[in-house]
Amino acid sequence: MRREWEARIDSVAAQFVLGEAASVGPAAEALAWIRQEAGREGWDEISRLAARIAERMATSPQWHTEGALAEGLDKLRRAVEAATAGDAAVARKPNELAQDPGLVNDFILETRDHLTSIENDLLTLDREPSQPEALHSIFRSFHTVKGLAGFLEFDSIRALAHEVETILDLARNQQLAITPAVIDVVLESADYLKQEMNRLEAGLSGAQPGEAAPVGGLVARVQSLDRPCSVAALPDPLLPPAAPARTDAPSSSPEPPAPASAAAPPPVPAAAQAPGEKFSVRVDTQKLDHLLDMVGEMVIAQSMVRQDPELAGLRSPRVTRNLTQLSRVTVEVQKTAMAMRMMPVGQLFHRVARLVRDLSRKMDKPADLDMSGEETQIDKTIVEELADPMMHMVRNSLDHGIEPAGDRLAAGKSGRARIALRATHQAGHILIEIEDDGRGLDRDRILAKARGRGLVGEGQTPSDNDIYNLIFEPGFSTAAAVTDVSGRGVGMDVVRRQVAKLRGRIEIHSEPGKGTVFQLKLPLTLAIIDGLVVGVGGERYIVPIFAVQEMFRPTPEMLSSVKGQGEMAMVRNRLLPVVRLHRRFSVTPRTREAAESLFVVAETGGRRFCLMVDEFIGKQEVVIKSLGEGMKNIPGVAGGAILGDGRVGLILDLEGVYGEHALA
Amino acid sequence: MTATVSDNKAAAGQAADHRSGKYLAFHLGNEEFGIQVMKVREIMGVQDITAVPHTPRHTKGVINLRGKVIPVIDLRLKFGLEEAPYTQRTCIIVVQVKGDHAPTLQMGIVVDGVSEVLNLTAADVEDTPDFGTGVETRGLLGMAKLKGKVKILLDIDHVLTAHDLSTLQAALR
Repeated sequence: MRREWEARIDSVAAQFVLGEAASVGPAAEALAWIRQEAGREGWDEISRLAARIAERMATSPQWHTEGALAEGLDKLRRAVEAATAGDAAVARKPNELAQDPGLVNDFILETRDHLTSIENDLLTLDREPSQPEALHSIFRSFHTVKGLAGFLEFDSIRALAHEVETILDLARNQQLAITPAVIDVVLESADYLKQEMNRLEAGLSGAQPGEAAPVGGLVARVQSLDRPCSVAALPDPLLPPAAPARTDAPSSSPEPPAPASAAAPPPVPAAAQAPGEKFSVRVDTQKLDHLLDMVGEMVIAQSMVRQDPELAGLRSPRVTRNLTQLSRVTVEVQKTAMAMRMMPVGQLFHRVARLVRDLSRKMDKPADLDMSGEETQIDKTIVEELADPMMHMVRNSLDHGIEPAGDRLAAGKSGRARIALRATHQAGHILIEIEDDGRGLDRDRILAKARGRGLVGEGQTPSDNDIYNLIFEPGFSTAAAVTDVSGRGVGMDVVRRQVAKLRGRIEIHSEPGKGTVFQLKLPLTLAIIDGLVVGVGGERYIVPIFAVQEMFRPTPEMLSSVKGQGEMAMVRNRLLPVVRLHRRFSVTPRTREAAESLFVVAETGGRRFCLMVDEFIGKQEVVIKSLGEGMKNIPGVAGGAILGDGRVGLILDLEGVYGEHALA
Repeated sequence: MTATVSDNKAAAGQAADHRSGKYLAFHLGNEEFGIQVMKVREIMGVQDITAVPHTPRHTKGVINLRGKVIPVIDLRLKFGLEEAPYTQRTCIIVVQVKGDHAPTLQMGIVVDGVSEVLNLTAADVEDTPDFGTGVETRGLLGMAKLKGKVKILLDIDHVLTAHDLSTLQAALR
């Protein structure tokens, strides 16, 4: 008996291996048998599972690539094993699939991928309603989500996705025009799915999952969309498509009748997708980090071999040549490994696109968004950390920068505003620009406000640049009215802080009446830092190069000691405080005489100071490493790095080094 | 208080079976210790340790363990024993411990020397004697008597993640 069960499941599994090439027939037959037998034995879960797998295979042309389905089959196999082993309790447990964290996690990841592409495609569709490819792709995505949700018995998600799919199907068949109203509702549905994903994820991480948000209202709104049909001549779109031929679901199954869309023409198969599409593999970040660690070690090992005096003593051209080749390859491997952390900045831009669309309609300021350089690669962490500041700046541009359409026409501009997002590479950095063609920053108003708040003294006349930078002061806002979009004066300071955290810089260029450009200059990756290696006593420290202004050996006449104020040094007619690194870090230096040491002029948070060290060792690109648990918040230390000889050097956090000085 | 102590004892009695197995024996001064071999990742000679400022005295600093930066703890200092100069025999034992926040983390512990791997049966292990109130014994799994010598079995997870072990030294004497 058990052999029989296993044979049937194997025949379904074979179908998965063969994929599309095979006909679904034998598998469907096997599943039908399993369902029937399980029904007779009273193994509800198995019969339900088999029913769902069968349905999924019948309705999705890409079933064999769906990871969740393959896992579902495993689940079925295990349930059958348990049941035939006499332990039917496991198989009878209700809704077991939804309890399986692995399955649910796969579902969340897969759905999120789909949601991202849904949003992008919807925005494309919003600009060009006659884009069939985008429409097909949205349809496919909702269809897959629906299938998976049904499979895992997430009923609210399945119900919503089903309704949206029905609407999209009408649109595909030219029975419904894609109006902004349709796009709004579909976007809203995507938002609902996003929320549900967050809820499910919270449930996975142990939090009380809570109930699914009510979906009825949204479903009703989606359903109501097909009423105002714009193409009247076509056959009645209200008539639901015929239900597909399908054996009855077991009576115990809570599933509603088969999805209506199953009768629709099958979605465009994968083969029809855009040619040249890149395939990608999802990799655990831990594995990736491990690879990077190992590659770093390989580079060190390689350089140790190269510098080995015994090998150098051989004076063999062949060895030299081979070693050169080795180092070339190693560098290439390192570069490639680093590039794996990178992703195109386009994903970030698409989120902004959604925001511009929503806001421009909400504020009644028609705006177009131009994007360029979406394919520019940047560290994944930066993309994630940059999302909020970008959103904030764009929100500001729309709210404060761009005038109402009437004012724009009066000023001789186009009624439609233009916002541009650009990303470019620039000498080891990435430059992201956010440009609007609005009214520009109001120099005088900012200055007046700053004087009022005492940020600028009465007699001072700061440069334009200094004035623009005032908008990054905490609590600074020139908005006449506080709206729910912006104007509360929180935000731009957060933007600057966030960008600084990413070791980036932000600049503003503005011209009255013409518009404003925000320029974000960011490092390509957070994993690597350009550092100046300095020595103090037996220890070596790494000073981030971006903070270093200059380095020199001080002369005695530059130095002065102010009582109670500590040491100062006169550098280019500016009196700068001196921080002795050996004293901060309690190490024994080679010299305590300032005139015998070296000074690094460093800037942090707009303040400059001289850092006193024993020696300069060199400039080096280093991979930043965490010092590990319990060593995360050490003042003055940002992390560790493995130096050329394999030893660890500490990366300085200048803010911490200097901040302590202020306390001392 | 009494209740807790006897609870601990009961729990320790049950744990006796879990305490059998292989232990790595090492010494600090004249005292012999054992940690579960399962927890040990590797043993290495003392190498250059990069000092990290503003850390407790027993934190010697960090080292590069094949591309990962891991902290190194001097177990002598952690237990409040006298500091000893590092010799040829001094070792760093890399252990994998359960942290408060991270699921697992690697740390190095500096010991005077590693002697052998012990195979202990449940009969070899005795519960930690009651040292009276104020003596922290949670870092100890028990005591092993072998060939007339007592080896102190450490619960390394607890030893390395507990913040204050100053009371443990009383137990060690």
